[in-house]
Amino acid sequence: MVRRAARACAGLVVALVATAVLVLTSATSASAHVVPTSTIELAVTDSDVVATVEIPLSDLESATGLDLGDETQADVDANADAIEEYLLEHFQPTTDDGEEWTVSGGDLTVVSAGTSTTTGIYAALETTFTLTPPADTDAEEAEQSFDLGFDAIVDKVATHTIIVTVESDSTDDDFSGAYEVGTIKRDTVTNTIEELHVDLSSGTSASAFTDMVQLGMQHIQEGVDHQLFLLTLLLPAPLLALRRARAPGREAGRRWAGRVDGRTALRRIGATTLAFTLGHSITLALGAYGLPVHESWVEAAIALSILVAAVHAVRPLFPGREALVAGSFGLVHGLAFSEVLRSLDLTGLHLVLALLGFNLGIELMQLVVVAAVLPALVMLSRLERVYAVVRLAAASLTGVAACGWLLARVGYANPVSDVADWLGEWSLPVLVVLWAGALAALVVDVRAGRRSAGSDSGSGSAPASASADVEEPAGV
Amino acid sequence: MTRQNSLTERTVSRRWVLGGLSATAMLAAGCSATSSSTSASSTTSGAASASSSARNAAAVEAATATTSAAATTSAKTVTQLAKAFYRSLDSDQRSTVLNDYSLSNAERWSNLPQGLLTGGMGGGPGGGSSDSSAGRLGLSLGDLSTAQLRRFQRLMKAATGTRTGLGWDEITMHLDADDYLSENGGGDTYGRENFYVALLGTPSTSGTWELQFGGHHLAVANTYVDGELVGATPSFRGIEPNGRFTWDGETMKVLKVKERALTAMLASLTSAQKSKAELSDVYSDLVLGPGNDWQFPTTHEGLKVGTLSAAQKKKVLAAIAGYVDDIADADAALIMKRYRKEIDKTYIAWSGTTSLTQVNDYVRIDGPSVWIEFSMQNGIVLSGAHPHSVWRDRVTDYGGTQS
Repeated sequence: MVRRAARACAGLVVALVATAVLVLTSATSASAHVVPTSTIELAVTDSDVVATVEIPLSDLESATGLDLGDETQADVDANADAIEEYLLEHFQPTTDDGEEWTVSGGDLTVVSAGTSTTTGIYAALETTFTLTPPADTDAEEAEQSFDLGFDAIVDKVATHTIIVTVESDSTDDDFSGAYEVGTIKRDTVTNTIEELHVDLSSGTSASAFTDMVQLGMQHIQEGVDHQLFLLTLLLPAPLLALRRARAPGREAGRRWAGRVDGRTALRRIGATTLAFTLGHSITLALGAYGLPVHESWVEAAIALSILVAAVHAVRPLFPGREALVAGSFGLVHGLAFSEVLRSLDLTGLHLVLALLGFNLGIELMQLVVVAAVLPALVMLSRLERVYAVVRLAAASLTGVAACGWLLARVGYANPVSDVADWLGEWSLPVLVVLWAGALAALVVDVRAGRRSAGSDSGSGSAPASASADVEEPAGV
Repeated sequence: MTRQNSLTERTVSRRWVLGGLSATAMLAAGCSATSSSTSASSTTSGAASASSSARNAAAVEAATATTSAAATTSAKTVTQLAKAFYRSLDSDQRSTVLNDYSLSNAERWSNLPQGLLTGGMGGGPGGGSSDSSAGRLGLSLGDLSTAQLRRFQRLMKAATGTRTGLGWDEITMHLDADDYLSENGGGDTYGRENFYVALLGTPSTSGTWELQFGGHHLAVANTYVDGELVGATPSFRGIEPNGRFTWDGETMKVLKVKERALTAMLASLTSAQKSKAELSDVYSDLVLGPGNDWQFPTTHEGLKVGTLSAAQKKKVLAAIAGYVDDIADADAALIMKRYRKEIDKTYIAWSGTTSLTQVNDYVRIDGPSVWIEFSMQNGIVLSGAHPHSVWRDRVTDYGGTQS
């Protein structure tokens, strides 16, 4: 058994590594332009923002009407005043309240830019501007959200694009690398310049990592269907699956009966939860990196997974194989999770970080849910009859909800699905009742145990004997 | 515990059923968005329903209401030749060439060679859709056998015009030019084996499908709905080498007909008209290049063709025909009829110089439907300026598919 478990683990590790490699190598860099573009790189500190601006000289000539001859440093130096005046005239950052920042220019340097394969190599002007928020504002706060106010070149060259990035940000402790803020270019429909608003706080910098963890947690918290699948699958974890009724005369078939010991229950819960995690992590990553997902199919498949789990909780369908089923359906749930990340349109490092953060959030919340519910269930299972009622009631309710969702998701709107969507609202009261029941069960069971210890010790609520037709291999 | 083995076996079978069930569900969910189904019928039905809901049906219908027997026959021939081409492919090639009909697939064209699209260089110059970074769909000409190439050529010949210097004749020169570029500094990124043909949706006289062919500086996009050509755009033509070059013993200048018609149009203007048509801005590139779909300006700029003499109008129409005649003659005649009807409400504009030889030289024809842009840009592989140009239609771009 141990060897098989090890083999399964190794397989999963290989799959995860392969996924990671696939995902990382398929990440593409920022878009290439055939026609030279300008760039503005922002370096943010707590007192000012330094903007390094690079402009193709040919576009600078077009925009200013200056003749820069052979486009050498000497040509630029000879026209330095005019160039500086033009650029300062077209660079006016403002606060969100419309207050003007102060802008001071730096040296004008001619550099070589471009790539030989796409834009060709061309001469460009490189210069820096120091942008300082108004004196009466908190500089660091003002820098988090402001209008860049740069419309040089694009005011004249209708087809020009300026790419704006944040290269460094000392006000952001979690800054993890350069990211694109946006582009400045004409809107072709209106032929007006799209102003660029810089928003560092909601940027895709690493401060977004904690946001993504929160988003992941929130997604599970609000995603009743994901919780229900896992919890329903874990419902029979404390129980033993029997192949047929032990009592003669009763209907033959599989059923849940008796209890497994606490350690076995714990191992099952751990294995199932872990398998679900691995399953959805794989497809979350694949989906986030562009594996095409048909949303409505995924949603329907999730409803189906819940239905399967609910049936299993009533009668054992795959005793001992919960982990495998959790892993397989986890693949489907992961595709749904990836929808959230895809809608954020992230690329490169930001996507990697968002993926990690989001997944971490999902796992944390999942752990919270399992930790909040499962101990109570294990305790409650000491009262076999009570637990049977709870299990059947919960499984039926879940089954009905799953059917409602399934119908709704294949296109038949129904009231069951609408009600089921509200199940999450009841999670806290249900949890309170569950724990109350669990504690009561503990008290009753301990008393019963004390009583039975005094009399016959062979029967009662003890684990089923080894001679029964146990459905599952002993050491899964 | 003696019976455990047989019981385990039984659970194994269930395990497979359940594992298979969920795996199938996931596969179906994951792949139904792509062209996982190679079965022709399912692709068509999906395509038809997607396009009918997305198309600006009324406007497109009005624009393409008048058809001709010749155009219907032409579309039918193209459909049959597309089917014949498809049938000549092996199963791997078939699944590569046949894709779903969707706007996102239709938007996967570019002026860049494939190698620069997929080689980690990211999207096209428009940089618009995320799909553009994935490169063109379909089969490379380099992967076709001689017999398959012959069927492909027959298909393209039927879908493009017969006028000398335009249509299929221009495309054959275009492919030669890219081979020339490959041999003269461009390397493996260039050359005809870097041109791709794709069928979006199953060719049929019912439903929607698109014949997509393109590569460096070239995009052909013919959209057929229910057996009629409803859109022949976005159609991109650029060229490097721009001047005369000799390849395989033949000397040619690929975009000669288009360039001549456009310069003749500008040259026919009086100086007053010329200054009215001149744009104050500088155009270093096309406004509506790849990735800038359905982003037509609301305001027409420049000189209204309605104010011109009959002879001048003819020059404008000839310049338009330089692009429209790239498609099958019968279809081109219908489209020209529509553009001729709208000619008085059409505008022409230019920037840079009217010789169309210098970098930043730019000319535009912008009508109620027609949109043609021609822009001179810096050479990439060779020195000297080279043109990019695009023909779009405000109504029937992508056959009217807007989402």
